[in-house]
Amino acid sequence: MSNKLISLAEAGRRFSWDGMQYASGAALPVGSDALVFGRELLRQKRKDLHAIFHCCGQQLNLLAAAGAATKAECGFAALEVVGFANGLRRAVESGQLALEDFSNLAMTLRLLGGALNWPFVPATVNIGSDLQDRSAFAPDDYPAHSKIPAVTDPFSGKTIGAFSPLKPDVAAIHVTLADPNGNAILIGTEWSRYELSRAAKRVVLIADAIVDPACIRQFPNLVRIPEIIVEAVVYWPFGAWPHSSPGVYDMDEQHMFFMNKALATEQGTADYIRDFVDSYSDIDSYLDVIGRDKIKTLSASNSSFLLDPYRRWILAPEDVAGLTTTELAA
Amino acid sequence: MSAALDYTRQEMMAIATGREIRDGELAIFGVGLSMLAGFFAQANHAPNLRSMTEGGVYGATPVGGLPWGIECNRLAVNATSFTSALDALGFLVASGRCDVGVIGAAQVDKFGNVNTTGIWDGEIGPHYRPPKTRLPGAGGANDIACGAKRFIVMVTHEPKRFAEKVTYISSPGYLDGGLSRAQHGFVGGGPSAIITTLGILRPEPGTNEFVLDGWFPFSSVEEIKAHTGWALRVAPDAREIPAPSETELANLRKVDETGALRKK
Repeated sequence: MSNKLISLAEAGRRFSWDGMQYASGAALPVGSDALVFGRELLRQKRKDLHAIFHCCGQQLNLLAAAGAATKAECGFAALEVVGFANGLRRAVESGQLALEDFSNLAMTLRLLGGALNWPFVPATVNIGSDLQDRSAFAPDDYPAHSKIPAVTDPFSGKTIGAFSPLKPDVAAIHVTLADPNGNAILIGTEWSRYELSRAAKRVVLIADAIVDPACIRQFPNLVRIPEIIVEAVVYWPFGAWPHSSPGVYDMDEQHMFFMNKALATEQGTADYIRDFVDSYSDIDSYLDVIGRDKIKTLSASNSSFLLDPYRRWILAPEDVAGLTTTELAA
Repeated sequence: MSAALDYTRQEMMAIATGREIRDGELAIFGVGLSMLAGFFAQANHAPNLRSMTEGGVYGATPVGGLPWGIECNRLAVNATSFTSALDALGFLVASGRCDVGVIGAAQVDKFGNVNTTGIWDGEIGPHYRPPKTRLPGAGGANDIACGAKRFIVMVTHEPKRFAEKVTYISSPGYLDGGLSRAQHGFVGGGPSAIITTLGILRPEPGTNEFVLDGWFPFSSVEEIKAHTGWALRVAPDAREIPAPSETELANLRKVDETGALRKK
């Protein structure tokens, strides 16, 4: 057991580099996401990222719009009812980013395969469609043999497919609650964060709130990500903004549309980065950028009751600051 | 009389889709139109429907307006279970347990194949190239198309969306028709209907080519043919689809409390 709380900037320095395979642990495109880690990647000028995103949310939209990601693998590449992801769209249509398409189940299964260290995962979906036949990473391989190769089921003799396992270099995973040691509780769908936390080579948690370890001992069944696989914990309230975090805050509808509109153009993206990425220096100034009135509105979520069982263990921001070191414990 | 009722094409499409869903079934819906059709079925004639979304948020009904996504707090507020993609799309869909799914389409072809990935100028060709207009991609629809016992495609009836052959198959229908789907051994049976803003198409037994099964009261065989990009054939027993009843409309509008489907 060791205290793994570090600052966001420190996490960015230690756990990111140019060209890495980077996965964000998120729900679907408007829910939980370690979005603020993506902002930090831009602040630290990371480039040539190979993004493993189960779904594209505003984080991949931003990384693609800014030109920081040049490859991506996705199951779903839009923002659900909010619309198409303009930044990702622009990067894909211009050829700046190669987007390799899979389905949503395929992405989970590939992470599961990575987590289990399997050589491949049997594919009974995605076969027979252009998800199998077309590869953006190997455009001349048609019909593609390298992406989801056909294999024979040794028991039935039928032809199925093989998914390649995923083992991202780093996963920044958004969690609702974590203790300083890296035990985490997720409220809302975990989507594929359970599989990702075991598949990634290094896991950094981005937590909305830090709880006393006693909370973890009260609800051990709910701890889906245990400390033994976690390298670092970052406390960052509203880390999923403008997405939602069930139990903590609602989606910021206005900013979701504003951001997506900005990312549609190069100039809009530059302005967005100036105003919403490079414009803060710590948690307080980040919350100022969101707007204190907005924070109040978004926090008054109908879902707030979901956090009630855990509130008595949530540590005050000043206590968390006291525990946050710049040096990782040995 | 139903003729006196005022309803939109979107409402007719949602009700026609809902009519396809039977009581007691295990059903998976996407966000938006497909979810409204599913919740309509539950409110109207399928009280024991077991509905889910691929997000792993179960047992929930929207509170405070239509959800922005299937993981939106508007659904999370009264869920009975939060699980995962592996659970929803894997254990319950790819396994073959799910009875029916509803998916959308940017483009659909005469064998019910669905494109939600992109719009290209002409064929893609042997060398893969990015689309002129990038669309959302397959999401969970491919998994539903491969795994659900049957699925329904909901799509706006426009010539550009109804192609002889889709440019990119994101989710498989009957592929090249006939028995071509069978060679992949999917546990799911394939698309049972394409429900549009004008009428209903169903696969012809044997060829698995989609033919016109019925037209909505405000449409006609001629209008539907003119809006379909292949030489659409008409089933021998094709007929006018009954307009929404007063009860159906009332039940749909209870579900569609913000009136998303009433915008003409």
